[in-house]
Amino acid sequence: MQKTMGRPYLGEFEELVLLTVAVLDGSAYGVTIAAELKQRTDRVISLSGVHIALYRLEDKGFVSSELGGATAARGGRRKRLFGITAAGKQTLSEMRQVRNELWESIPNPSWS
Amino acid sequence: MNTPQPPAWADRLLKGLCPPALQEELLGDLHEQFADQVAEFGVRKARRLYTLEVIKFCRPYFLKRRTAPFIKPSANPVSKTAHRSHFSDERQPFFLQPDMLRNYLKIAFRNLWKSKSYAAINVVGLSVAFCICVFLFLTSYLQLTYDSFHQDGDRIFKTYLFSNDPEKATRSANMPLPFVPALKADYPELEAATRIMSGRKSLVEAKGKYFDKLLLHTDQDFLKLFSFPFLKGNREIALRDLSSIVLSENMATAIFGTENPMGKTVLVGRDADQKQYVVTGVIGDAPYNNSSIQYDALVRIENAPNYQNNKDQWNGHFYTVYLKLPPQVDQASFENRLKPFAQKYFSGALKDLKEKKAQPDQRGDLFAIRLQQLSKVHFDRDIAGGKGTPIAIVYTLLGMAFFILLIACINFINLSIARSFTRAREVGVRKSLGALKNQLFVQIWGESTLLCLMGFLAGILLTYLLMPQFNATFDARLKLEYMLKPDFVGLILGVFTLVTFVAGGYPAWQMARFNAVEVLKGKLSMKRPGILRNSLIVTQFAMSCLLACCTIIAAQQVDHLRTRPLGFEKEQVISIPVGNQVDGRQVLGRLRNKLATDPAVLAVTGTSVNIGRGRDRVSSRTSLGFKYKGKDVATDILLVDYDYLKTLNIKPVAGRDFNRSYSTDSVNRIIITESMAKMLGEPKPVGLFMGEDEDTTGTKSEIIGVIPDFHLYSLADENRPITMHLSHSETIHYIFIRVTPQSLAGSMEKLKAVWQEVAPQSEFMGTFMDANVDAWYQNEEQMAKICSLASGIAILLSCLGLFAVAMMVIEQRTKEIGIRKVMGASIPNIIVVLSRDFVKLVLIALLIALPIAWFLMNTWLDNYRERIQISLWVFAGVSLSALLIALATVSFQTIKAALVNPVKSLRSE
Repeated sequence: MQKTMGRPYLGEFEELVLLTVAVLDGSAYGVTIAAELKQRTDRVISLSGVHIALYRLEDKGFVSSELGGATAARGGRRKRLFGITAAGKQTLSEMRQVRNELWESIPNPSWS
Repeated sequence: MNTPQPPAWADRLLKGLCPPALQEELLGDLHEQFADQVAEFGVRKARRLYTLEVIKFCRPYFLKRRTAPFIKPSANPVSKTAHRSHFSDERQPFFLQPDMLRNYLKIAFRNLWKSKSYAAINVVGLSVAFCICVFLFLTSYLQLTYDSFHQDGDRIFKTYLFSNDPEKATRSANMPLPFVPALKADYPELEAATRIMSGRKSLVEAKGKYFDKLLLHTDQDFLKLFSFPFLKGNREIALRDLSSIVLSENMATAIFGTENPMGKTVLVGRDADQKQYVVTGVIGDAPYNNSSIQYDALVRIENAPNYQNNKDQWNGHFYTVYLKLPPQVDQASFENRLKPFAQKYFSGALKDLKEKKAQPDQRGDLFAIRLQQLSKVHFDRDIAGGKGTPIAIVYTLLGMAFFILLIACINFINLSIARSFTRAREVGVRKSLGALKNQLFVQIWGESTLLCLMGFLAGILLTYLLMPQFNATFDARLKLEYMLKPDFVGLILGVFTLVTFVAGGYPAWQMARFNAVEVLKGKLSMKRPGILRNSLIVTQFAMSCLLACCTIIAAQQVDHLRTRPLGFEKEQVISIPVGNQVDGRQVLGRLRNKLATDPAVLAVTGTSVNIGRGRDRVSSRTSLGFKYKGKDVATDILLVDYDYLKTLNIKPVAGRDFNRSYSTDSVNRIIITESMAKMLGEPKPVGLFMGEDEDTTGTKSEIIGVIPDFHLYSLADENRPITMHLSHSETIHYIFIRVTPQSLAGSMEKLKAVWQEVAPQSEFMGTFMDANVDAWYQNEEQMAKICSLASGIAILLSCLGLFAVAMMVIEQRTKEIGIRKVMGASIPNIIVVLSRDFVKLVLIALLIALPIAWFLMNTWLDNYRERIQISLWVFAGVSLSALLIALATVSFQTIKAALVNPVKSLRSE
């Protein structure tokens, strides 16, 4: 696995998923994350892609999960609810900071 | 339960693919999303999206984790507690693991590489077999789907008249003109009924250009009945007016190019018969080799020549009739309801049959109007006048394709089994390392499938490359796009799957069953007698010999038919189609003047009907039915000119030929054939007058001569009596010229030069009549060609298999040969020892094949009135060549083996 700046590498989609997990705060699981992303990014989002990203994030220690909350629409099956970990929060804020710094270093700010 | 459920099979697929520990949450999420999507898009789309979503789960990420124990990454200690409890260590024997598959593939390619000759023989054999199969399947597929593109084809029927004549029960699809109007009046529930008369090509003039096009005379219902695509205009009203014409797409483009043809005028016919039509529609072309009905343009049947005279004539039977039944009416019940109709309008025919003491057939009919399904029209030579392909030939082609595939499969099986012994050790080792039977089966079968796939792809490539060649040789006009039709693709894929299962599955199953201990001890090596292998070789050779015998005998029969006397001398006659651009009669006159002094020209004449098929490919037939002294008479009418009998060398048996010195010969004087005289019931017809009974005012025709019967049409066509007449007003379409045998060589060139002087506007299309007559049997000849190609390939493939098996067997017997040589055996001795086994197999194959061939061909030949006797020489020849070919194949290997220095072969290992 690639490492950047001393922490596990985070792909663009993974970053989006991680942010969404933070946004949904406690009610984040496959379907809600996919729906949120679909609505916000206007991209084609597949459940399998979201799940893989979630499992990878979990491997990297950015999210934690627990089972719970079965409903009738799920055929009585439990969902895996994800929450962001301290490491996840830290990585996000580090990435944000790097971006901010980069933005500020653009010579002509009126460009955007 | 009323709530919509996602497809169950998709759930099963997911359960098969995903790690069991993840199933609950994934399925849950999927179902929840499905419920949302049902609300948003509806059940159908939601189910489709669901399936798509499940398929997206087929990725290595999930597949790998399906069995592999989860390896914990050395990640942050923070999350370690909650980490991945849901990936359990549970292991399952799952033999489709990606890593294992990669290993199998690697081993497969190494194995193929190691035994290149084996792989090459298999791939070549399979690709040739696949290639020929695609051709044969394609040919028969196009035949079997003839006319199947019409909507409601099961409700469209062709009518025919059945009469149980005591001499021979006849079926004829030629209906009288008033039949359809009467039918529609009596049975208003019919959805549609149409008459079709297709004659010769007519001259079409438009925009100052001239074209020869096939004009179909038909009724308005034609467009309602058949579903040829309507491109421009309104299907309902396109043929409402008598002066309307509907062009085919092809013809519209030929005449008007990119212009819109609608509303433009075209002129059809020549001189006084020329008529102006207005284009009211454009219709798609009829598929050339998939439709019984062919046309360049459609006009109303009322425009047909002699329509006014014939429209109430129940005796002239020359039109094809198609009708469409309402959905709830079935064929049998409508045929029953047609019985009173037949009695009402065909009372004359019924009376005649009764006079002949005809008995009703098993359905209780003396004479009946019956229906033939559209899908059967193409295959009925009896009714259609010999134009269709007999369905037996189509099945023969399919059978051949099947045989060839089987032979290729047998090769494959034989080679795989022979090779399985060399790979027995690998199987043993794999087994002792814990490979399961399933796993081994999948591995070995996968290897065969890989080979099959290579053969298959090579075969498709070969088909693609050889398609133009095949089309040119067999005038087949196959196109690659036919291959892309979904049902054909399905068929080919089905065949491929079957081949992999049969050819790859059996050896794989055999090998997977090997007992590991015995194999590793070396017990299983070469001890098997190979009964299976031998019987497969016998089967293979028996099939090839059978095909060869049948092909030769069928070719002999076709040849026999072709060389049958036709009743005239077809040699040294040149036939020139006049074409519509010039007046045949004027050209004939000028040609006569030019050639009168030429000693090489014996006779020149003109006529309305070509004998055989010339370069214009046109064949036409004019028939007449009338009553003569109370009898129904039907005859072909043939327009001739002076010297017709002289040109064809036909000698009158009574009376005389037309002669210029009798000025009245060109009016109402006729010459008839002997069978016509018999039909009239006149033993001495010369001098009698012939004509329609009821027609008392018109002049009758005097019979001035009787000639022996001759074949104006092919042997496959119905043979009718012929009446010849001479007329100065009717059009001459063909000119026949008899030349002396000595001048035959240069005469065509000479005539071409003369033709350019007498008819400069028209292209010279002269051909020799014997070649034209041969063209009648083009279908049979092409079939014979295809069959001989197929049987040749069958023999070739069998030999290929024999070659490979001989190679393997001899390889296994290297030591034995070495010992024999050391013990003093000579090279011929060794060759005999090695070849003996194979010769035995071929002999057994011959013993099986020859009686079957004899029986089959005897049965087939019984269908012909004039059949050949099967000569024993055919069998002797086939046997001898089979033996020789087998020996030659094997000897390549045996001689090589016998020549090897025993020191080398004994020291090996």
